[in-house]
Amino acid sequence: MKTARWRKILGWIGLYALWIALTLFTVLPIYWMFVVSSRSRVQLFDAPTLLIRSFYIQNYTGPLSDPVFQRYLLNSLYIAVGNALLVTVLALFATYALSRWRLPGADNIFFWTITNRMAPPAAFLLPLFLLYTQVFRIGNWTLFDTQIGLILLYCVFNLPFAIWLMKGIMDGIPVEIDEAAMVDGASQWTVLWRVIVPLAAPGLAITFILSLIFAWNEYLFAATLTSVNARTITTGLAEFVTVTGTNWGQMAAVATISILPALIFLVFVQRYIVTGLTFGAVKE
Amino acid sequence: MRSNRLGWLLLSPSLIVLFIVGFLPFLYVIWVGFHDWNIFAATRGMTWAGANNYRRLVFDQDFLAALWRTLVFTFTVVTSELVLGFVLAQTLTRQFPGRAFFRTIYVLPLVVAPIAVGATWRLMVIPGFGPIPYFLERWFGIQYRIGTYAEHAWATAVLMDIWHWTPFVTLTLLAGLSAIPREPLEQAMVDGANRWQVFRYITIPMMMPVILTVVFIRIMDALRVVDEVYMLTNGGPGTATTLIGLHIFRVVFPKTDYGYGSAMSLLVLYVTIVMCWLLFVALANVGKQKA
Amino acid sequence: MTETKPIQAPVEHKGRRGFLPIETNTFDRVFISVVIWIGASLLWMRFIEPLGLSVWICTILCIILGVWIVKKG
Repeated sequence: MKTARWRKILGWIGLYALWIALTLFTVLPIYWMFVVSSRSRVQLFDAPTLLIRSFYIQNYTGPLSDPVFQRYLLNSLYIAVGNALLVTVLALFATYALSRWRLPGADNIFFWTITNRMAPPAAFLLPLFLLYTQVFRIGNWTLFDTQIGLILLYCVFNLPFAIWLMKGIMDGIPVEIDEAAMVDGASQWTVLWRVIVPLAAPGLAITFILSLIFAWNEYLFAATLTSVNARTITTGLAEFVTVTGTNWGQMAAVATISILPALIFLVFVQRYIVTGLTFGAVKE
Repeated sequence: MRSNRLGWLLLSPSLIVLFIVGFLPFLYVIWVGFHDWNIFAATRGMTWAGANNYRRLVFDQDFLAALWRTLVFTFTVVTSELVLGFVLAQTLTRQFPGRAFFRTIYVLPLVVAPIAVGATWRLMVIPGFGPIPYFLERWFGIQYRIGTYAEHAWATAVLMDIWHWTPFVTLTLLAGLSAIPREPLEQAMVDGANRWQVFRYITIPMMMPVILTVVFIRIMDALRVVDEVYMLTNGGPGTATTLIGLHIFRVVFPKTDYGYGSAMSLLVLYVTIVMCWLLFVALANVGKQKA
Repeated sequence: MTETKPIQAPVEHKGRRGFLPIETNTFDRVFISVVIWIGASLLWMRFIEPLGLSVWICTILCIILGVWIVKKG
């Protein structure tokens, strides 16, 4: 009896020790980045401590008052919000169609959408760069280095994920509700906006937030398909290392700013992030 | 009562967008891959080259080494994450005070931008002020230099990927574990099976679809890692951590040798497609056995 | 409520069982043939073409193999 009880207590201690250690391991790199962002260049090369004794605010005010960096930040905001809106609306239409009509070949189309998400972006850099600079052009205007170009492009990975996520939510709304509204004389359009959208609102919000985070986080395409006007904060972060390689404090500050939106939304989406990342295959 | 036309009308915007930015580049890269095209060469335009780009590609040591490195990297991280994730998911199946808190913190790496992940880990391991080299040297006398030693850079890249993605694997497997019905497990215990037997002959087979789904998503994401490693080591020292995506992004792209670059992109796509397809077949077969 | 369904091609395979170890429909068999053809061509260019045998031999062999797979696989 006694040994069994001891074993149980040891089990609990082990469990907590494991999870406290894991939490520290998870938080440490991000915390360290914050610590670095609080130090001046001279303080950095003292013996490392994890304590924040003073805050070197210039690391933040420096980039934030730089017009170039301000533009990067605004671009990121426009592109992420624009893409998230576009993706949510398109996915709403698409999944409503997929779930309410029996369109011939729809299953294959549904499946085809996800193959877009699987494609390695590195393999698409070159063709997209060529298409954006040479092929998609009207006179002198090309999609290269425009915000709309990136907004459209991010649909490649956000739209499939949104469609897969929303499909499950749409299928969960009974058709009888539509039909009842239609009997009352509502048009298809009214049903979609007045009945379906309110019912699917939580799902739409999750889709919107996750798309926003993914679009905000993207680096590779933003780095290759823009040059001056449409650069985003993630490319700005990468530029820090190459251009002013030694100013680690400012780089850490920019990195901290770049993960802020994700941190803010984390509380709302943490229950759904796994669902989102597995394309709705795993629901909690 | 509902005409199909409205259905197609609602579906078409998504299809058009995906066609333009997803499918069209795919066709285009096939087309360019069979041409010589270098805007700094004398000819400038595209000239038909047949399979010459591919002939050059199969003898390209840098490319093949990068491809092999990517496969090794993918295998290493996916296996480690799967084993770690399974163990951690098991500990989370019980309710305990603080579980929700640990969970929330644990999800954190999943939402951080990959490029920022690279930045944080670079700050962790910079010789001079990063805590990892400092404490390793002070406590164990190990010189940890990711800019000098290939193994150190590689280990850091693997550790970073594990830090980034184990939470995802854990939580997905946890969802799978919670969905397993209790009765078969209890029945087996009553019949005198030990823990290992239950795990081996009941838990694993019932978890197979979830495991394969996780492996599938992780493989396809690990094959395309670029941002983190670019930020962490820039592929170095030498080419020690130049994964295939980084090779295309850093080495091929600036050279403006478009035909050759397209051939390379296509071969990467080919490898990805074959691996995904094999996993799909496995998934479909497991699904069929269950039904 | 936890629910998991693995990612799968949503279409029930209305395929048949040939000499290949899995049930396949025509599209699958064409796909398999193309995958084999590309892989074989690349290996051929690496190892056999330097010996003097043209890659067209490989293509012909693969087309024959492909026809066989599509018909009997």
